[in-house]
Amino acid sequence: MSGGEAHVENSVWMRAVLLSGVFLAFGIFSYLTMGVGVANVRHHAYEDAMNDYDEKKAVYNEANADYTESKAAKDSASVALDAAILTYEQANATKFELEDNDSATSEALEAADLAVENASALFGEMYAAYNSVNASYTEDYDAYTTAKSEKKTAHYAEMDAHLSYLTWRTAGITILLMCITYTAFLGLGGFLNTIYPDEVEHDDHGYGGDDHEHHGSGSPIIFSLGILLFLMGFPSFQNTLGNLLSGVEANLGDLGLSMLGLTIITAGVANWWREDLPFIGNHEQIATSDPFEGQHIRKAGLWVFIMSEVMVFATFFSAYLRMRTEWCTGWQVANENPNCLVETSPGVFEYQINMLTASDFLRPNGGSLDGLGGHGDFMTMLPGAVNTFALIVSSYTIVLALKTAKAKDWKAPEGFMSVFLPDQKRAVRNYLIVTFLLGSMFIVLKLIEWSHLVAEGFTIGTQAGSIFYISTGAHGVHVFAGLLIMLYLIFKADTVGYDERNGQGIEYFGLYWHFVDLAWVVIFPAFYLY
Amino acid sequence: MGEHETTGIFESLVEKLPGNYDIYFWNFVILMFFTLFEVAAVFFETIPGTDIHISLYAVWAILIGVGVVKGYGIAAYFMHLKGDPRIYTRTALFPVLFVLLMLWGIGLSNPGSVQGLPSWCTPDWQYASQR
Repeated sequence: MSGGEAHVENSVWMRAVLLSGVFLAFGIFSYLTMGVGVANVRHHAYEDAMNDYDEKKAVYNEANADYTESKAAKDSASVALDAAILTYEQANATKFELEDNDSATSEALEAADLAVENASALFGEMYAAYNSVNASYTEDYDAYTTAKSEKKTAHYAEMDAHLSYLTWRTAGITILLMCITYTAFLGLGGFLNTIYPDEVEHDDHGYGGDDHEHHGSGSPIIFSLGILLFLMGFPSFQNTLGNLLSGVEANLGDLGLSMLGLTIITAGVANWWREDLPFIGNHEQIATSDPFEGQHIRKAGLWVFIMSEVMVFATFFSAYLRMRTEWCTGWQVANENPNCLVETSPGVFEYQINMLTASDFLRPNGGSLDGLGGHGDFMTMLPGAVNTFALIVSSYTIVLALKTAKAKDWKAPEGFMSVFLPDQKRAVRNYLIVTFLLGSMFIVLKLIEWSHLVAEGFTIGTQAGSIFYISTGAHGVHVFAGLLIMLYLIFKADTVGYDERNGQGIEYFGLYWHFVDLAWVVIFPAFYLY
Repeated sequence: MGEHETTGIFESLVEKLPGNYDIYFWNFVILMFFTLFEVAAVFFETIPGTDIHISLYAVWAILIGVGVVKGYGIAAYFMHLKGDPRIYTRTALFPVLFVLLMLWGIGLSNPGSVQGLPSWCTPDWQYASQR
């Protein structure tokens, strides 16, 4: 053991394996309670709502048929009444004509009187018939509007029940899948390091040491190779997995390349952890040439990485803006954008929506097209808004973790907070855990929101859906990658610990995490509110 | 995000605020407040308690304004660009050149933006049609 390194026995890595077991157990428990238990209850409610809707729809169809029949009868009675009025008016006119004519015979006058009486009687009959039909029509119309309203209410109740079911089901499955990934990441990394031969005495050619600075690691190269292989095999990987999950015959060999990539990624990560865990800080490698001369190489490298990430998100964003200039969304129509005027009939122009964005489904007063969208309210905006707050809070908690790690005269708070922040080492760990939990909540809420959007008809099949899911999905992948890194930070905070000498680890990760927050600052208003 | 001390209007204002809270705390409070403000701007059709209608142009301006403030708060204080050597800010802003190029491309590839340009922006356009 040297001045720059802590002695880490291989048995310490066993804690990572045990922690991975806790994650797996939590994932299974969450899935069984939320994804199966509560989701099944909600599914029964959804089935009841579907049956209720079917009943209401049948009543509506019946009422609609009665109403249509009554309307036809009323129209027919109205025509007959009009004819009777016309007959009466004609008979009256003939009678007045004869009365004015001196040469008219008394027989002709009597015949005219009779015609008027008959016409009057016919009018009376038709009027009574019309009134009767009209009363029936009014009754049927009332029944029709009531049935229509009830059908609509049942439809919304069915939608709500469906979304409620999706919420629990998606939450359960997402937490399970996340926990399986955490388990695989932490468990395999820990296991590989557990079986690594224990060093009796560490030499100073690795990390730190009083006379050595933090060396570069070869692990990122291994890690990158793994990612390359994983992505090369990804098309067939996801296709084969999709087939397996849907019960279609699949060739397991098609998973090979990606699985090899994942294995190499795990080995790279495990090696990376092994190199970094004992590092308790000594000297950082310093850049010796422009433009970063005198700066920490790791920090400069991270900023260059963030720069490339800005480019990635700028590409998504500019693609979105370019496409949006061509769309007539609810926002453009509400703003009376002249490009959205469409000639519906000769000389008549109307503002028309031709594309629904995610915000049309999420925010209040969003546009609607073909019965989709336009139902946004407080609840639909809630996941996105909560996620925004969660990321900001997590940005602050990681700042607190760093601040606590670097504090020279840290004092434990008194009262309630002393439970969470008992000493400096555990305070750093607990701040990281809070950050981790907030990030995990972000992913769960994101996928719940996606499931709702897809259920409501906003799919990846449209231009707006495509750019929305790609952009927010890419952001979600960044959050998830950050969570995997944070798992290791929590593990290190719990074992070796962070202090003012090696707190840069949290600082550099924090830069990445803040960037993820920064990207969301742009994505949230652009995709959710605008 | 770092241990460097910075100076500026915000920093000196923070020193005068009550309580023993640092600049990161107040930055966090401001970020939370502005997020609430941007969500409320979209959620409410009128300013609460009044009949004053919030136009979509106003909402648009609020979204952009709040985005700039929040972006600055995160980059300058949480990522500590304010206080770190300028090279980091320059590195972070390097992609802005490409963002501007992309925005230019968006403008040029959008028919409306070309036809709708003001006359002072299109000198001698008749050259092409009269040639």
